[in-house]
Amino acid sequence: MSENKLGFGKFDETLERALKSHLEPVPADFTERMLSRIKEVEQRRILARLILQQRLALAGCITLLIAAIVSAVVFPDAVTAVFKSIPASLVEQEQILIYGVSQAIKAVRSNWQFYTIFAGVFGFIVYALADLLMANGE
Amino acid sequence: MSVKVWQKKQNDEWLGLLRSGDHQAFAEFIDKYKEMVFLCCRTLGLQDVEAEDVASETFLAAYKGLRRYGGRAQLSTWLWAIAYRQAVGYLRKNRRHQQLKAEPEKLITGSKEKEPAATIQSEETGKIAWQAVEQLPRLWKMAIILYYREGKSIADIANIMRTRKNTIKTYLFRGREMLKQILAAAFGEDIDVGE
Repeated sequence: MSENKLGFGKFDETLERALKSHLEPVPADFTERMLSRIKEVEQRRILARLILQQRLALAGCITLLIAAIVSAVVFPDAVTAVFKSIPASLVEQEQILIYGVSQAIKAVRSNWQFYTIFAGVFGFIVYALADLLMANGE
Repeated sequence: MSVKVWQKKQNDEWLGLLRSGDHQAFAEFIDKYKEMVFLCCRTLGLQDVEAEDVASETFLAAYKGLRRYGGRAQLSTWLWAIAYRQAVGYLRKNRRHQQLKAEPEKLITGSKEKEPAATIQSEETGKIAWQAVEQLPRLWKMAIILYYREGKSIADIANIMRTRKNTIKTYLFRGREMLKQILAAAFGEDIDVGE
C-alpha cells in the first residue's frame, strides 16, 4: 500500500464507477443568485470603505484642531521657536539657512517628545487628507 | 503547443481572471464546482436550505480568498477544504457537531433478497452503491466520496478534513468493509468483493 493510495481491487473499481455516476442535485438558479449576492457584498464593501475614509478625514481635521490648541497650551515655547525658525522672507532665507538648521536641530533635541507627537499627528492628518482626496477621486 | 501546455495556459488565464474578480469567470467557477460543494454539505448532514446557505458562504469565502490562492493544492482540493470548514463550522454553531462522530450507530443493511450478481454491473449500481454509502457515518462517507468519487489522495483528504493520514486510512478501510457488508446483504453473497 503506498503512502497516498490504498490497494485497488474489483470492488474498489465498481465503487469508484458507481460513485462517479452520482449526480448531486443543485438549485437551478444557484449561480445567478450567488453572483447577485457577490455584487451586493462588493457594493457594501465599497460603501463601508468610503464611510471609513470620510470618518478618518473628519477625525484628522478634529485632531489637527485639538493638536494645535494643545501644543499652544502645553508647549508654548517650542511652538514659538518653531515659528521663529521659519524665515520671515525669501531674501533672508539664504543668510539664515545654516543658522536655521542648527537652531532647528537644537530645538528638536531639547523638545523631542513634542516633535515625536507632532510628527505622528502630522502624518495622520496627511494620511487622512490624502485618503479624503483619493476617495473623492474614485 | 501540446494539449497539456495549452490547457495549463488556459487554466492560468482563467485563474488570473478569477483572481482579478471577473464575474463571468467566477460564474464559470460556480458552475464547475457547485455540485461538489453541495455534495460536501449534504454529506455532512445538512438539509437542503442549510446546504444552500453553507454553499453560498463557501463561494463567498472562495471569492474573497482567491487572491491568496497560491496554487499549491488543486483548486478543487482548496475549495473542498473551504466547504468542509464552513459546513463543520455551521454544525458547530448550531450545536450539531456531535453528528460527526466517526462510529456507526447501527449497521443498516439492505434486504436479504437474492439477486443475480450481474445486477452490480447494471445501471442501478450507482443508486444502490450510493444508498449504501449514505448509511456510513458521515466522516467515513466523506473520506469514501473524496477518495473514490473525487480521486483525491490520502494526503489531500487529510488536508481537507484537517486530520492525520492514518485516521483517513482507518476511515477508508472501515468504510470499505462496511460497504462490502451492506452491498453483500443487498445483493446476496453473489456480489464480487474481491480485493
